[in-house]
Amino acid sequence: MRRLIKAGTVLAAVTLAGALAACGAGAGGSGGGSAAKTATLTISNENGALWTCDFSPFNGSDTLLSVGLVYETLDYVNPLQDGKVTPMLASAYSWGAGDKSLTFTIRSGVKFSNGTPLTAADVAYTFNLLKKYPALDLPGVWSVLSSVTQTGADTVTMDFSAPAVPWFYYIADQVPIVSEAIWSKVANPVSYPDSHPVGTGPYEVNPCTSANITYTANPSYWQAGEPKVKKIEYPAFTSNNTANDELATGQAQWGAQYIPSIASFYTAKSPDFHYWFPPTVNVSIVPNLTNPLLSNAKVRQAISYAIDRSQVSSLGESGYEPPANQTGIVTPTFSSSEDSSLVAQIGNSYDPAKAKSLLEQAGYKLNSAGVMTNAKGQQLSFTVINIGDYSDWVADMQVIAQDLKAVGIIVNPDNLTNTDFDADLYYGKYQLAFYDQQTFGPSPYYELNNWLNSADTAPIGKVAATNYERYSSPATEALLNAYANTTSTATQQSIMNQIQQVMVTDVPIIPVVEAVDWYQYDTASFSGWPTASDPYAQPSAYAYPDMEQVLLHLQPK
Amino acid sequence: MALQATVESRRLPSSQALNRIGRAVRSNRKATAGTILLGIFILVALFPGVIAHDSPTLDAYRPHLGLSSAHLLGTTAYGQDMWAQLVWGTRNVLEIAFVVGLAATAIAVLVGIAAAYLGGLWDGSLSVVTDVLLVIPLFPLLIVIAGYAHGGGTLVLIVVITATSWSYTARQLRAQALTLRSRDFLEAARVRGERKIYIIVVEVIPTMTSLIVASFLTNALYAVLFASSLQFIGLGDPNTVSWGTMLYWAQNNAALQTGQAMWALAPGACIAALGAAFALLNYAFDEIGNPALRPVRRRSLKRQPIQPSPVEQGERHAA
Amino acid sequence: MRYVLRRLGFFVLTLWAALTFNFLLPRLMPGNPALAMLGKFHGNLTPQSLNALEILFGVNTHKSLPVQYIDYVHQIVTGNFGTSLDFYPASVDSVIGGAIWWTLGLVGVTTVLAFVLGTGLGIVAAWRRGGRLDSLLPPVFVIASAVPYFWVGMVLVLVFGINLHWLPYVDGYYVATDTPGLNVTFIEDVLSHALLPALSLLITTIGTWILTMRNTMITTLAEDYVRMARAKGLPGWRVMLDYAARNAILPNLTGFAMSLGFVVSGAILIEYVFNYPGVGFMLLQAVQGEDYPLMQALFLLITVAVLVAILIADLATALLDPRTREAR
Repeated sequence: MRRLIKAGTVLAAVTLAGALAACGAGAGGSGGGSAAKTATLTISNENGALWTCDFSPFNGSDTLLSVGLVYETLDYVNPLQDGKVTPMLASAYSWGAGDKSLTFTIRSGVKFSNGTPLTAADVAYTFNLLKKYPALDLPGVWSVLSSVTQTGADTVTMDFSAPAVPWFYYIADQVPIVSEAIWSKVANPVSYPDSHPVGTGPYEVNPCTSANITYTANPSYWQAGEPKVKKIEYPAFTSNNTANDELATGQAQWGAQYIPSIASFYTAKSPDFHYWFPPTVNVSIVPNLTNPLLSNAKVRQAISYAIDRSQVSSLGESGYEPPANQTGIVTPTFSSSEDSSLVAQIGNSYDPAKAKSLLEQAGYKLNSAGVMTNAKGQQLSFTVINIGDYSDWVADMQVIAQDLKAVGIIVNPDNLTNTDFDADLYYGKYQLAFYDQQTFGPSPYYELNNWLNSADTAPIGKVAATNYERYSSPATEALLNAYANTTSTATQQSIMNQIQQVMVTDVPIIPVVEAVDWYQYDTASFSGWPTASDPYAQPSAYAYPDMEQVLLHLQPK
Repeated sequence: MALQATVESRRLPSSQALNRIGRAVRSNRKATAGTILLGIFILVALFPGVIAHDSPTLDAYRPHLGLSSAHLLGTTAYGQDMWAQLVWGTRNVLEIAFVVGLAATAIAVLVGIAAAYLGGLWDGSLSVVTDVLLVIPLFPLLIVIAGYAHGGGTLVLIVVITATSWSYTARQLRAQALTLRSRDFLEAARVRGERKIYIIVVEVIPTMTSLIVASFLTNALYAVLFASSLQFIGLGDPNTVSWGTMLYWAQNNAALQTGQAMWALAPGACIAALGAAFALLNYAFDEIGNPALRPVRRRSLKRQPIQPSPVEQGERHAA
Repeated sequence: MRYVLRRLGFFVLTLWAALTFNFLLPRLMPGNPALAMLGKFHGNLTPQSLNALEILFGVNTHKSLPVQYIDYVHQIVTGNFGTSLDFYPASVDSVIGGAIWWTLGLVGVTTVLAFVLGTGLGIVAAWRRGGRLDSLLPPVFVIASAVPYFWVGMVLVLVFGINLHWLPYVDGYYVATDTPGLNVTFIEDVLSHALLPALSLLITTIGTWILTMRNTMITTLAEDYVRMARAKGLPGWRVMLDYAARNAILPNLTGFAMSLGFVVSGAILIEYVFNYPGVGFMLLQAVQGEDYPLMQALFLLITVAVLVAILIADLATALLDPRTREAR
């Protein structure tokens, strides 16, 4: 046993020595680490998984790693500046007669990173590739296009089966252009991993491992002198905590993270740490309009008036997601579309007294337990499905439940997994749900169209595309179609005003808070970041192709 | 002679055993400390409204408040009073501890003693089941089951933990039951022709009272630790008020890194305190059972230079 | 030999039980969870992944249960755990391969340390019966055994990581700045990141060793041959180590086997608190991400690891203690 004691002592000594060394190294390491940050930008965007090193611009899981960085689109359309267009691969565009055709002039002098020049043929090829393989058509442009052809040495014309002006955003901004020479030789483009992507964009992948992707500047990029940031590191984070920590210690400078108590966690750590969360879409209570009690508009209006949206925003979302309003217009992003007279008319959106009186008008009275009941004995008590993983949504629902209880409506949260929730929502197997649309565009039309267009709904038991609440109104449908048929901003605004009226009167959904883009930035080593006063692009590292614009504006200090 | 011994030892019913336990608790310092601590928690669970005047669930206050006389532990990031949550959460924790403790002990008693007394194939198969369950790492098993069940509320936690954690105590009970089998008074009962059930219920179980109580304490302790761990990682129902769920929300809001350390430390300290209560009582029962382990009171050796050492005195007890 | 065979037999039996458990659970749960998770992929799975899922979870299969079971065992035995859903399309094996070294390092080294230090302290405490160490130990470690593992981790994070800034407390190394490999920065980084988790694990598990060793030592010290040794006039430390400790340590080894389950649970929670990229943390992520193939594989892996450790402990006992080798 003497040997045991000896062994034990040696082990302890070694460990202690190692610990002391590590202590010193640890303190030195973090200090030395931040100094070496010069012209390399590190992104902190937790993806929950390791990198697969696939970069196909047509695969939904890989687009954020390649579109904008390696591949580019015809134009850049800024959703935060009402759709301002910046020409990229297309130097110009024009609408044809009746808005049924769209012609792009392709920029000359652009080369792919392997040296081959970009031509109009590549553009036409790319679009026809999406037609041939619908699985690649992520934005779904062929639902409105009838043909895409190269009509000149440097022009491509797209024909529509019916005018679909809002689709300009998807066509010009969301379709990455690939090289015909490379992709025509690919046997199965749907499963093609594209591990060594060749595009016209400012960066190349060099190299990719499962833990980290390094991007280096593309020497033959068509914008001279760009990009100024020569190297990007994009580590794979599997947990939020690690990603947040890397931001807080300055190891990463561009964050796309949800950080709780961001003031004390992040901005307090350095005067160079900033954040900005531009709102994008509404997070709403989605009523199942086929439910007999919820089909009464007054009940839905009452729910809208009963919720203290500011409180939900400050308590459930730590104030990160601003309160929404019943018009459905996300402010301040789309404030210019808001119908100010309507907003003034509906007055204070939080009005429990008005909620109660609306319920009484609908024939409900408070029973002895404090629940609104009608003459037939039916109680306003519902289950609301929610995604259990999103702890902020769970917290939101707790506040909402308290607010509704105060006017006599009981909601019982049912926190489901992502998959269960999706299934219930799509098939209409719920009473109330809490959700937001997954698409965002340069005007409120994109989100509201998804919610309100009868073409996107389905009966209970079948999958609804985006209109989960099963709202159907021919009048609204006509409005939405009219919006799609015009390029006149005046007409568009007038239609948008009418749609806001629909939102307030019909209450098909009840917006509560506004979802935001997550964005943190460190001004110590880089300048040129997008800010609230200079929203030249969507600032999140996962927004494509907006991230390209950010990278083209950034420069090392 | 044997008959006389039988008559005397037949008077070893539960009441006398409990009496013995009562005396032991009072005289042993650890047992007293443990009982007082446990008593405090039980009182808090029974009368939470008396101790905490605020609602634990309402987001009624300003968030991120520090300690003050209005909010003894401050408020959470959602504006809830932490002290109220801590106090009301005691109910959920004790509920789980006692229900799982009792249920798991009941299963352990059943399995352990049955295995010892039925012998043969019964003993073989029950022992194998017990040993297998003993060896399979419990926490990963709990995680997997709770994962398939998508979490779920307190009831799911209780059922799942009870179903998996009885094996350790079952083994101990079986071991002791086996040693008792050869004792005189049981031999006498068998000779008298009593049924096995009678022997088990009336003779064996009362003799094993202290071990059964110790098993209950062990099971309750692990129920508290496992349940709060599962709640902490999000496999409980995050809307229940409990210490484990407080930790879950604290972790989700990076409480430690954002100056809200109390949100994580307070419930953890409570779990530790309750666990310590069970552990102290358990340890005390260990010492009651094996006096050699009892703490040695130092005696000055000057007055009686030639004395047997305490170790040797203890050794004389060996049964 | 019989003893060894019996232990091996038990090992195989437990493994079989764990396998069967893994097989039955998803099929018994209401609304086969794997079916729901399939929907997540909207048919984007390769035929091999689909096939693997069929076999592992019994979804979309028309085979009878016994046939499924045979397929399943065959699949597991050949080491094919299918594709991870969280890390799609990486195979489960490749995903686990990375994590396993972190856990082995952390748990392995810490357990050995805890065993050595704990046993040593237990011996000393028992020898100096009634001394300061002895009277201090029991209450301190009774309380320590009741403290939730993750709480110790959290306190260490708060004190040493956040307030004092002495040590990092998230992940295994600085992912954004280090390249894994045999370079000094990386190794230093790994060590500094491992220190707090290792300390947490050490603090929470050492108590059992100390107490068990102390208790068995006390019983051993009462034995005749120890008194004989002392009467013979042998030096105290010699009696303590070569006579008493040597025999007292044996039950500790079996105790090691039993407590391994708790060490594993402790490691999982500590990895969670520190986001340490080991198999425990991965298991929790798999549960949160509904990655059932990964979950199953990790559960089996952890079970096998524990079983192997126990088997080694049993064999060591058999080697060191001739009594166990006798037919029982």
